Amino acid sequence: MKIYYQNTYTYKFLKLIAHQVKDFLSTLGDIIIYGLEFLKGLKHFNTTPKDIIEQCSRFAVSSLPITLTIVCMTSIIISMQVAEEMVKHGGGNFIGMLMAILTVREEGAIMSGFAIISMIGSSLASEIATMKVTEQIDAISVLKVNPVHYLFTPRIIAGTIMMPFVVILASTLGIIGGAIAANITSELPYKAYFDSVWFGLSLKDLYVCILKSISFGFAITLISCCCGLIAKDGAKGVGIATTKAVVWSFVSIVIIDLIFATAFFY
Amino acid sequence: MGIEVKNLKKSFDNKTIIDDISFKVDDGRILSIVGFSGSGKSTVLKLISGLLEKDSGEIITSGGDVAMVFQYSALFDSLNVFDNISFALQERKDLRNKYTRKELEKIVAEKLELVGLSGIEEKFPSELSGGMQKRVSFARAIVTEPKIILYDEPTAGLDPISSTLIEDYIVRLKNETNAASIVVTHQMSTIRRTSDSVLMLYNGKVVFEGTPDELCLENTDYTKQFVNATIDGPMKMN
Ligand SMILES: Nc1ncnc2c1ncn2[C@@H]1O[C@H](COP(=O)(O)OP(=O)(O)OP(=O)(O)O)[C@@H](O)[C@H]1O
Ligand SMILES: [Mg+2]
Repeated sequence: MKIYYQNTYTYKFLKLIAHQVKDFLSTLGDIIIYGLEFLKGLKHFNTTPKDIIEQCSRFAVSSLPITLTIVCMTSIIISMQVAEEMVKHGGGNFIGMLMAILTVREEGAIMSGFAIISMIGSSLASEIATMKVTEQIDAISVLKVNPVHYLFTPRIIAGTIMMPFVVILASTLGIIGGAIAANITSELPYKAYFDSVWFGLSLKDLYVCILKSISFGFAITLISCCCGLIAKDGAKGVGIATTKAVVWSFVSIVIIDLIFATAFFY
Repeated sequence: MGIEVKNLKKSFDNKTIIDDISFKVDDGRILSIVGFSGSGKSTVLKLISGLLEKDSGEIITSGGDVAMVFQYSALFDSLNVFDNISFALQERKDLRNKYTRKELEKIVAEKLELVGLSGIEEKFPSELSGGMQKRVSFARAIVTEPKIILYDEPTAGLDPISSTLIEDYIVRLKNETNAASIVVTHQMSTIRRTSDSVLMLYNGKVVFEGTPDELCLENTDYTKQFVNATIDGPMKMN
């Protein structure tokens, strides 16, 4: 009897893993290559302010309300959970500090990042992927325009500019939301809350927060645009590209967050 | 001198798609490429336009731009007709800033006139019919005065009358620009109306080369099968 090793589960399993690894490495390679190409394109910059503003409005109009809601709600929930316990154990005066550190250092940026990925990142990826599978990207190339320069530049610049604003606004609302929640659930006076906010925060926190959100904005838009550009095979390819953009962006901002936390606060 | 292709080869994942193809198209001439779905016709166009890298062989052109008209028009759906047509003039590194807005408007109007669609500058691609989109994509392709124009199935999916219209525009653009053109098509009518010569591909090789009349008259198994559209014959669908 002859054994066809291709039919064994072990073989299929290993093949699947090999396929995933290959896909991972090629996506990573593409992101690096297109990232460098984007940087090269900044030299002969041709994006008009109008293009950038158009992309910025994507952040401001279509995603800001939801981003703010998500960050604010998260802060309210955390504040509700901890305020009562802390007041009970005499730590009421530190709730503001706790919420400020939590929101400015971590939650504001990371929750905004998640919200932006699910709204902006996915729409960038599907937009560019659709252009790819309908040969619009090929059409750009044939007209001797570099698609990376033309498509990526306004989007990545808009993301890098807008993300800090979104995060700062969201964090501020988050801290205020925390105050309201603490006040309602455990009758903590607003003055006690906001006095302690300043214990926790330093200028460094603000700098790091801005720097981190700039990195998030860059990473999310770059990855989403790349995943769109490497799409193939029709409508299914657009779906795959969008999923890939979301997953890769999620992972990337968590990694960036870890790097920042290690570098600045540890 | 137009375009000359010598011993062109291309494979994808170890599968040879284009296997040693040679042909030549002079300026002001139109060549049709016919063949089965999957025989590599689009691949030939993509190799010539530089969208794909060839494995080996030579593609010699007289210089100048290569324009390509895509199978499904591939208009930029977020831009209006004006921006679509003037795209290369607005975005290409060596052309941007060369024209004023007024000049762009004049050029676009000229090109639209050439494809019989004057006055639709402000419309978006989604507001146009398939045939009109095709013609707008013609106008976009010729905006940089190319020396070579490649058409990928320009009449696919159009009714016979629109097809005839498109065929006439192909001839008209050739006369206007004196470019060397290559038309990939499945339709005998397109070949007859537009082309000076025909190339038939099968399994990555050239199985017929000649004029449209010879295609109909010649009695090889390949041409008979194509002209009569029979399933039995040397070319097998798989
Ligand atoms: N980028 C690619 N990667 C892998 N295989 C490809 C690629 N492009 C084309 N092929 C393969 O090459 C073969 C020829 O494709 P091509 O699009 O040139 O055919 P075609 O003659 O234009 O067909 P149709 O008439 O359907 O448009 C097909 O089998 C296709 O699967
Ligand atoms: Mg094709």
